[in-house]
Amino acid sequence: MSDDATTDRLDYVEWADRLRDGDLVGQECAECGHTTAAPKAACARCGSRTLATVTLPTDGIVHSETTVAVPPEGFAGEYQVAVVRLGDAKVLGRIDGTVDIGDRVSFADVLVTDDHPAPVFEPV
Amino acid sequence: MARASIVGAGMTKFGVHERPLPDLFADAAFDAFDDAGVESPEIEALYFGNAMGGMTENDTHLAPTLASHIGCTGVPAQRFEDACATSATAFKHAVEAVESGRHDVVLAGGVERCTPETGLGTGAMTKVFVSAAHRQYEQPAGLTFPGVFALLTKRHMHEYGTTEEHLAEVAVKNHYNGTLNPRAHFGRETSVEKVLDSPIVADPFHLMDCCPFSDGASAVVVASEEAAESFENPVDVAGVGHATDVVPLADKVDLPATQAARDAASQAYDQAGTTADAIDFAEIHDCFTGAEVMATEALGLFEDGGGGPAAAAGRTALDGDVPVNPSGGLKAKGHPLGATGTAQLVELTEQLRGEAGERQLDDPERAVAHNLGGDAATTVVTVMEARR
Ligand SMILES: [Zn+2]
Repeated sequence: MSDDATTDRLDYVEWADRLRDGDLVGQECAECGHTTAAPKAACARCGSRTLATVTLPTDGIVHSETTVAVPPEGFAGEYQVAVVRLGDAKVLGRIDGTVDIGDRVSFADVLVTDDHPAPVFEPV
Repeated sequence: MARASIVGAGMTKFGVHERPLPDLFADAAFDAFDDAGVESPEIEALYFGNAMGGMTENDTHLAPTLASHIGCTGVPAQRFEDACATSATAFKHAVEAVESGRHDVVLAGGVERCTPETGLGTGAMTKVFVSAAHRQYEQPAGLTFPGVFALLTKRHMHEYGTTEEHLAEVAVKNHYNGTLNPRAHFGRETSVEKVLDSPIVADPFHLMDCCPFSDGASAVVVASEEAAESFENPVDVAGVGHATDVVPLADKVDLPATQAARDAASQAYDQAGTTADAIDFAEIHDCFTGAEVMATEALGLFEDGGGGPAAAAGRTALDGDVPVNPSGGLKAKGHPLGATGTAQLVELTEQLRGEAGERQLDDPERAVAHNLGGDAATTVVTVMEARR
């Protein structure tokens, strides 16, 4: 049997704790170099379990975006979400303001819903 | 050589149904049994799909319940859940079971209720559907399923110049085809103007770019190639490809590529010894208009970036060179999640037999079905061929 802390691998609980504290971190694979903002138990590209925790850049470029006009239960209003490229990683976040693909954005805030955090970006 | 054959196909009308899941599924299953000329005791196993019944109707462990309901008590019965690709993955396992010699004749199918008949309104159902997006990394931002496909499609528009008018043309075509399909949820035509004037759900998608919430069931009787000889009207399954892609969607290498569809298509074409050029028509998972455009490219029917202009030029219409979604697709026929994959195979079976009525294509020999789940992270591609 193992408890939750058998390795120093970045897991969701730590990622979410650090995000709530305003720190956006990810993983970089030692084998293939893949960088993700969505920590996993092994690299999604090559399967390696040798993953280093890295601090992601806070400035990025909008890779794709949409404005959600019909939200799910638990959310309200119209709001924009985007896939933002931060260095070698991409992350899904909420947008404070309005952006188009290719716009520069910066990590500005954290949205917490049902205790689950999401990064919020704003145009720069 | 075929991997298996479909010897009977059936489905309910898609739309709004009061009937609960067992009765709905029985309607489709018996339709398939009657088409094949089999009785319940001849079915050796059930490969069954339902995606969201636990959340929408507090109904799980459905496979033995439904097997009992249709007179197949005691056979190995299993439920599959792969979001909107649920019944195509069930079908894949049915094909493998008869191909391996484990069984000779089995049933594959699915059922789902997504309309307010479940007691859930739009906000609640939108939350149920987004359960197929990543719980930790996507749902907290307030993503929705139209939002998932909007993110893929917006990137496609950015890279290739696909326009909202191109997308609307897909909806117009599929609505027209739906008017010729008596089992379609929608039986009315629409226009590019009406699509573009309908309210935004998640840009670039207007309401009329989105498939409806539907209830319904579908089923196919699957036989080994050898067992199929004793049936009247078999249609051969030449290839079934199944691939997945990374979740969450931000980690995908190329958003508009829908890579799992490319991988599944190449497997299916290789098994069938064919290529995209030899495909006479396609049933495609058009949950949103942009999904159909990206899929026509992923399946190799058009070059990358060519899907939107091809739709606008009428190439995917019933009288085009590559008809797509003669059934009306998810857009007009409807999308009861767990029933959609095998419903595509019902259309392939009927078209390849020449039994599709008013929407019958001109003597097709080979067709492809594309059923995706989640953010396109699951895709099953099936190639079927007429027996001559
Ligand atoms: Zn790696």
